[in-house]
Amino acid sequence: MQLQTEQLQSAAGFKFDNVKRNQLLADKGLKLSTAKKTGTTIVGLVFKDGVVLGADTRATSGPIVADKNCEKIHYLAPNMYCCGAGTAADTEFTTNMVSSQIALHSLDTGREARVVTAMTMLKQHLFRHQGYIGASLILGGYDVTGPHLFSIHPHGSTDKLPYLTDGSGSLAAMSMFESRWRPSMSREEAIELVKDAIEAGIFNDMGSGSNVDVCVITQGNVEYLRGYSRPNQRVEKEQSYTFARGTTEYYVPRAAPQPAEVASAMDTSA
Amino acid sequence: MATLKPGEISMGTTIMAVEFNGGVVVGADSRTTSGPYIVNRVTDKLTKVHDNIYCCRSGSAADTQAIADIVKYYLDLYCSQHGEAPTVKIAATLFQEICYQNRSQLLAGIIIGGWDKQEGGSVYNIPLGGSLHREPFSIGGSGSGYIYGYCDKVFRPDMSKEECIEFVKNSVSLAMTRDGSSGGVVRLAVITKDGVERSFISGDQLPEQYLG
Amino acid sequence: MKLRAELAIKCATHESQTESRNHSIMQYNGSAIVAMVGKNCVAIAADKRLGQQALTVDMDFEKVFRMTDRTFIGLSGLAADVKTVHDTLRMRVNLYKHREERVIEPKTMAHLVSHMLYERRFGPYYIEPIIAGLDKDNKPYICATDLIGCLSLPEDFVVTGTASDNLFGMCESLWEPELEPEDLFETISQALLNAVDRDAMSGWGAVVHIITPDGVITRDIKGRMD
Repeated sequence: MQLQTEQLQSAAGFKFDNVKRNQLLADKGLKLSTAKKTGTTIVGLVFKDGVVLGADTRATSGPIVADKNCEKIHYLAPNMYCCGAGTAADTEFTTNMVSSQIALHSLDTGREARVVTAMTMLKQHLFRHQGYIGASLILGGYDVTGPHLFSIHPHGSTDKLPYLTDGSGSLAAMSMFESRWRPSMSREEAIELVKDAIEAGIFNDMGSGSNVDVCVITQGNVEYLRGYSRPNQRVEKEQSYTFARGTTEYYVPRAAPQPAEVASAMDTSA
Repeated sequence: MATLKPGEISMGTTIMAVEFNGGVVVGADSRTTSGPYIVNRVTDKLTKVHDNIYCCRSGSAADTQAIADIVKYYLDLYCSQHGEAPTVKIAATLFQEICYQNRSQLLAGIIIGGWDKQEGGSVYNIPLGGSLHREPFSIGGSGSGYIYGYCDKVFRPDMSKEECIEFVKNSVSLAMTRDGSSGGVVRLAVITKDGVERSFISGDQLPEQYLG
Repeated sequence: MKLRAELAIKCATHESQTESRNHSIMQYNGSAIVAMVGKNCVAIAADKRLGQQALTVDMDFEKVFRMTDRTFIGLSGLAADVKTVHDTLRMRVNLYKHREERVIEPKTMAHLVSHMLYERRFGPYYIEPIIAGLDKDNKPYICATDLIGCLSLPEDFVVTGTASDNLFGMCESLWEPELEPEDLFETISQALLNAVDRDAMSGWGAVVHIITPDGVITRDIKGRMD
């Protein structure tokens, strides 16, 4: 019997073959567990020459800090970046997918993609899935029509504003923007305000923490400042907790398992 | 009937559209909320779907934006295929078709206002179930409940443009003061044969009401 | 085969009585897996218990798999899905080798797993994998994903399973950078042993793999059997 490689490949789109099984388990009283969420602070603002995006770097699952230094400002295109809050996997995969669509689109048209194009792709994808894809996004970029900043909510609604915050720390961050944002800020002032807004989230919201990532997008230039501010660096340990070799008892050394992989590529020459 | 899904962004709104001799005035507040939090305090709920046709959106922000985008696409297509601008009635029928066919999944109350050569200024209302009503004036959204009496008392057919603007401005700001889900600024659009004039009245310039 | 028959009997007789209403699928079988970065090496360790809630079914259940010479994957969560995902991944990794005529890199495998899981975003496999390996330049690579495939790529250690909270605490205090393979073995073993001792759902012995440029050292470590 000949093995069709097409059958081994996955078709595009989501698979639902586990849904019934999972529902059965749920009906038996086993709680369905939840995915990793980014209880986040993300922000964006428009300044004189472009947009600044900001994010904290904490990822949580329930009360546990799952990642102390994750990246929440996602690449979308050379002139566009996107902050993500909500279900971590959804923000990651949604932005990745739109990023590749944008890349193909600009190859197709021979032009740099516009921010509204990305925004429309994102909102239509999220609207199609009726809020089940839990991605809350702040999209910023610079194109032929100037700087743009959008927020996109999980159900597919969008807002266009000069300053935006999202995630569980959005209220703390918004208080900074509402009191200090003004039109035509300088680059330095804008970065400083974004940093302070994220830090307001880091220090006042339990879901946000660790460092501040900043991304400055201007005409023809992007500056991604990973760890722009690190207000929560861990102090050096004063003593070492290493164990003396031989501490852990183990059975006679056994052979390592061998991978059950194919020995070599198939010889198709004969 | 659809309800707001958990965490969905809603426009607990005040919107209205009024015919006058020569065109229509459409108006709206600017508040968008997610639960108790104001997501956007300067929202533009008056959305252009063609050169001389606007819609006022209320209900779910996502649903109404998606509908408006689809209608905008179809009206552009209509314009290219027929070589002339669509009438307000055509736009309203398109809205109604989408709202009615998807009524179980949508939370959208839309008012359409515009000017065309056939009818002059006209106003159409599409409430939640997806029915279509032509009215000399329409009010909608959660804030409208507070101003039915006022509007019925003050509205006159054949108002002048200035009178009509005053009427919309007063009605929307009255609703905004009483309805917690409405607020911010008042946005207006005056649509006549000469085109569209957009304006807004900021929160501190609103007509004063009795504030008890 | 024997195990499967046994499981089926246990399901039929005990399920209705022992199932607690608040129990999560993720905690049904119990597991503890951890991976750590060392100096030019990585280690991955896992407990050996397979349970059905409080009942222990197997004391030598494999949950860490050697996918290539120097890339390992640890799968915690529902045992049925541990098997299914391992089998599917085995096929995909073999297929990759046929197509590309090269061995898959740990980073590539991480993205393969991530996409396999996100494909089932709305009907997930109940597993949380961690991947540990050395890439073609002998650079250590570790990563973890949640049940729908969100990658997290820390530079120190990753943990998963019912003892993950305990493991976080252990690793946070025991781990330090640039550990030699033998020191990394002690650190990861002690982190795991002490974590599972305070988790009722995992334990019953453990296995440690230390992946170095020269080969893999595998050791079965002694632990409490209660």
